[in-house]
Amino acid sequence: MNRYDLIIVGAGPSGLSAAIEAAKRGMKVVVFDENEKPGGQLFKQIHKFFGSKEHRAKVRGFVIGQQLLDEADEVGVEVVLNATVIGLYQDKEVVVKIGDEVIHYKGDSIIIATGAAENMVTFPGWTLPGVIGAGAAQTMMNLHGVKPGQRVLMLGSGNVGLVVSFQLMQCGCEVVALVDAAPRVGGYGVHAAKVARTGVPFYLSHTIVKAEGDNKVTGVTIAQVDSSFKFIPGTEKHFEVDTICLAVGLSPMSQLLKMAGCEMEDNPKRGGQVPICDEYGRTSIAGIFVAGDVSGIEEASSAMIEGRMAGVVAAEYLGYVRAEEMEAELSVLDNALDGLRQGMFAPKNRGKEIAKTEEGIDISKNLLLHGFVGDDEIERFPGVTHKVGVHPVMECTQNIPCNPCQDACKKGCISIGANITSLPIVVDNSQCINCGMCVASCSGQAIFLVDEDCGDGTATVTLPYEFLPLPEVGAKGKGLGRNGQIVCDAQVVSVKSAKAFDKTNLLTIRVPKEYAMKARFFKAV
Amino acid sequence: MNSINDRSRDIGEFKSMPDDDMLICRCEEITKGEIRKAVHDGMWTLTEIRRYLRTGMGLCQGQTCSKLVKGIVARELGISPAELEPATSRVPMRPIEMKVFANEAEKLKEAN
Amino acid sequence: MPVTRIKEHPILGVQEKGNRIRFTFDGKEVEGYEGEPIAAALKAAGLMVHRYTKKEHKPRGIFCAIGRCTDCVMVVDGIPNVRTCITPLKSGMDVRTQYGVSDKPFDKQ
Repeated sequence: MNRYDLIIVGAGPSGLSAAIEAAKRGMKVVVFDENEKPGGQLFKQIHKFFGSKEHRAKVRGFVIGQQLLDEADEVGVEVVLNATVIGLYQDKEVVVKIGDEVIHYKGDSIIIATGAAENMVTFPGWTLPGVIGAGAAQTMMNLHGVKPGQRVLMLGSGNVGLVVSFQLMQCGCEVVALVDAAPRVGGYGVHAAKVARTGVPFYLSHTIVKAEGDNKVTGVTIAQVDSSFKFIPGTEKHFEVDTICLAVGLSPMSQLLKMAGCEMEDNPKRGGQVPICDEYGRTSIAGIFVAGDVSGIEEASSAMIEGRMAGVVAAEYLGYVRAEEMEAELSVLDNALDGLRQGMFAPKNRGKEIAKTEEGIDISKNLLLHGFVGDDEIERFPGVTHKVGVHPVMECTQNIPCNPCQDACKKGCISIGANITSLPIVVDNSQCINCGMCVASCSGQAIFLVDEDCGDGTATVTLPYEFLPLPEVGAKGKGLGRNGQIVCDAQVVSVKSAKAFDKTNLLTIRVPKEYAMKARFFKAV
Repeated sequence: MNSINDRSRDIGEFKSMPDDDMLICRCEEITKGEIRKAVHDGMWTLTEIRRYLRTGMGLCQGQTCSKLVKGIVARELGISPAELEPATSRVPMRPIEMKVFANEAEKLKEAN
Repeated sequence: MPVTRIKEHPILGVQEKGNRIRFTFDGKEVEGYEGEPIAAALKAAGLMVHRYTKKEHKPRGIFCAIGRCTDCVMVVDGIPNVRTCITPLKSGMDVRTQYGVSDKPFDKQ
């Protein structure tokens, strides 16, 4: 009999994290994953993560994936790929298809970390080749090096839709529009802003009327919807596209738990059918635990902590750690998870309309409606100040759990304080040395270094730039505003690419000084 | 669950809708209209719908359409999707060739 | 035809691929990289229709790209229903459009 102390299903962020914690404590652990490569969705995530140091903030997803694999390897975790778990029974029997065989395993404990599946929406033409899931787009471009299409329309303004739109542009696709039936942008404002400033128009309260084409997508029509999601006649807009990308949410992939007989519930707050479990992932069946999206849709960062929790709890269940030791470990992890679950996008605030920041500042309405902060709104946020000489301008306008900028500045110019969700402020009397570390470390690409008056009628703006080709010093082009519209002429005066910037290039452009607080992107012409 | 199974409840006549020809189950090519009609034919649970129409019984095993089907059935019954019991989960969770499925006994013999 | 392969990526750099090999799509020779999913090679060659459905004879292609939705299935080396998005490409593979569950167009079935 193939028997293990712990069998984990799913080698994504939570499964691997759980495996590491359990194996570290002496357990014999195997992780099965149906995919050819481990890491779940981490290897498709090429942006820098939010959070603080303990959450591996400002590290890119695929790098975190490799770190987890290396750690798992070090502590002797066995990861079996192309291994599809086709059955799970109450007695912790696991049936796995590996190659052309079906193999039985017995686990003294089980952690289900199967993650989530993409939701879909229907519209005429939704089965045409060229209509794809956002995950499919990420898989094609970031794993296989193939562009999903040339001209893409994105449906969904949640973090997935925003992040994938940006990734599509990074690999050379054109994103013609970002569409969402909801009246407000669903994802982080900073993710929206970095897409909007490149010129992608946002259509909120809009959805797809139909996809066009005989054998494949050749176009798409969208229209505005009213508050009951009915199309408003006369508002149709047509786009020529070859690809329509769907990013309309995720559902927990919890069928194995139901099969095993775990008590389940349909919980819309957690994304659908989920097992009933405690905060550390203990299900109704002793010895079967859950971690990550399968027990409620959240972020990869929280999945990793949930995984570690489940790993520790499983170790205690089989006597590999004492209860006191587990409690101590869990309280540390509780704090880490609590940090991530703060702010406007915390699970507890899901679906709520938030009008003011924690600091009492009115939220940017433009950001929610169009994806960018209006020129008339930006000045009210504490990261946006005016000084003589180069200084950071932090266009961070929503309370999200993230603080790498504060550590990035060795001169102490930036402060977030003890509360990880607070908006960053510029510290009085601090001296910016124009090193650019804050610009490169901001996972939201929301920090700019601005010299508002160079003395010759011009200003310089240093912005994060993650596209190819990288403009050369001297290149002439246009400065784009936060809304992606051309606002002025611009010339590149410096391009910095340092190892410490981790692939975020710093582009400094010279613009007429009246555009110092307006130009936020550069487009070569 | 029991209240949903109270088949004496009147859910009204089947009325056709403009989007009834919308494909819902991509694998078995089942439309929204067919699913709605099935509810009026007395199929009030997802398990019944699945047996009756084969929604979610194709190659993908309901990976894509189960949430969509659930929404349509719930709306037809005038209840929230959360009140509908999901269809039974059973082995095999993923499509598998019969020859592979049957390849288990051999392996066990070797192992023992 | 537009360039579909990403030569250099601003974050991922130049992606390492295996050997350049040849395979056939409906009898015509196509190039791809050994070990990449069949679907990726087809996509890079601008080929988007993988099959036509059994009932309605409608075209389908890549949808989920991770082996779940099974929309991308084709007849590969004579075997139907092969998920091309997760099946590694090999030199000389015979990849065919799937009509229903056959590689013969409907009018010849």
